[in-house]
Amino acid sequence: MKIFKELYQYRELLKSNVKKEIRGKYKGSFLGVIWSFVNPLLTVLVYAIIFPYILRQDQDNYLIFLIVAIIPWNFFVTVLNQGTTTILANANIIKKVYFPREILPLSIVLSGLVNFLISCIIILFFVLFGGLGISSVIFYLPIIILIQFALSLGIVFMISAINVYIRDVEYIVNFVLTLAFYATPILYDASFMPAKIQGLLNLNPMKHLIDAYRSIFYYKQTPNFAALSILALFSFGILIFGYAIFKKLERGFAEEV
Amino acid sequence: MKSNRIKDNHTLAIQVKNMTKKFKIYSDKPSTLKERLVFWNHNNKKEIRTVLNNINIEIKKGETVALIGTNGSGKSTLLKLMTKIIYPSVGSVVTHGKLTSLLELGAGFHPDFTGRENIYFNASIFGLTKTEIDARLHDIIAFSELEEFIDNPVRTYSSGMYMRLAFSVAINVDAEILLIDEILAVGDQHFQDKCFQKLFELKNSGKTIIIVTHSLDSVKNLCDRAIWVQDGNLFMDGEAKSVIQAYIDEVNRVKA
Repeated sequence: MKIFKELYQYRELLKSNVKKEIRGKYKGSFLGVIWSFVNPLLTVLVYAIIFPYILRQDQDNYLIFLIVAIIPWNFFVTVLNQGTTTILANANIIKKVYFPREILPLSIVLSGLVNFLISCIIILFFVLFGGLGISSVIFYLPIIILIQFALSLGIVFMISAINVYIRDVEYIVNFVLTLAFYATPILYDASFMPAKIQGLLNLNPMKHLIDAYRSIFYYKQTPNFAALSILALFSFGILIFGYAIFKKLERGFAEEV
Repeated sequence: MKSNRIKDNHTLAIQVKNMTKKFKIYSDKPSTLKERLVFWNHNNKKEIRTVLNNINIEIKKGETVALIGTNGSGKSTLLKLMTKIIYPSVGSVVTHGKLTSLLELGAGFHPDFTGRENIYFNASIFGLTKTEIDARLHDIIAFSELEEFIDNPVRTYSSGMYMRLAFSVAINVDAEILLIDEILAVGDQHFQDKCFQKLFELKNSGKTIIIVTHSLDSVKNLCDRAIWVQDGNLFMDGEAKSVIQAYIDEVNRVKA
């Protein structure tokens, strides 16, 4: 519990780091922060135009079907990609000053979360004006976000620390994420897949998260509670495990970066 | 030699116990997949160097200690261990109380930000909150004597001005333990004198100060105690004037 006390003491550093992450990325561009929202929208647009031609698509409102999945997926990918290198990117201060190292991965995931919460407004905008409307199941959203936050933070703790020692992690993460994009039902719905493949997809934690987002925004149904509770346990397990690894490896950061 | 001293955690600021620090030194460390593939048959020579060997130090609250020794003797490593930037290979280093280290001034200064913005960022790395920084802002700026330039980007500062700003932030953090690494060569004579005066003030208000230095004359009066580190071993520990004199004699003997 010492960590919470320390994070509270260093809250100003955490705050300015989160701000830096949000603002710094698009510094110098005309649209600035707006890019973090325009970017996923453009991606969605490309998929929405191209995929109905390559794949037989009988989803109504395919654009919204995509948006409610790609925006959370984007949150996951951005956070993992930035998180992997965050310790190395801050080598100069790690070597010079003591501060709780957890702040670095935490501020990456928090800034991703802030961006995602703003992007949720885009999702709402589309479901409202795209003719789907919203229903009360939307109140499950904070729970789903919390689970995704825990899962992402756990993974980022783990890979940011390991990447200091084995720099290949960066490339492996890149590859795994590309693969996972197709192994997660983003462009398609998992229930249309053969049973064997569905069984495989069920092993992917992101599949259940994307399903949950889609069920509350797109299908307007309560999410699958059994799957979500197992996922919640799994995610908090990953968070604890990832943090333990981070704490173990943290002692060598200043010597290895 | 000090094993029978009564250990009281309330009066100790820093406790270094049977501490050994080893560094792994790679002659050529492959860090990317490509390098690993291309140079897969190069054996990576790895050497383990003991930088500090079985160190035992107890520093009481309110003591002012100088760490002296030749270059590469392990003084700075010892300070880094006390700040918890690095950790011991064997043994332990325990500190009691809020600690600030001035190992390298201006850590985390961003050249494009103004002096004022950098004060906020730098102080937040030291663990201060916004209200705490607000309260100290005036003192920090006044001490640095940079009133005219405080809203200019730091990249426009001269190196002396840069150091003055960094020192002013670090010294105003209000830590109970202050670790300083060879940074007293800050600014001109006037500012140096001011820094020493401030250090005397901090000493008199009961802060624990540990200084790594080569300017022996200047710390002779400030410090009560000196610790001489030689090749990673604790060579001599005692009253500042006598240890510093012994060190100077030794250096002169080697030179002669």
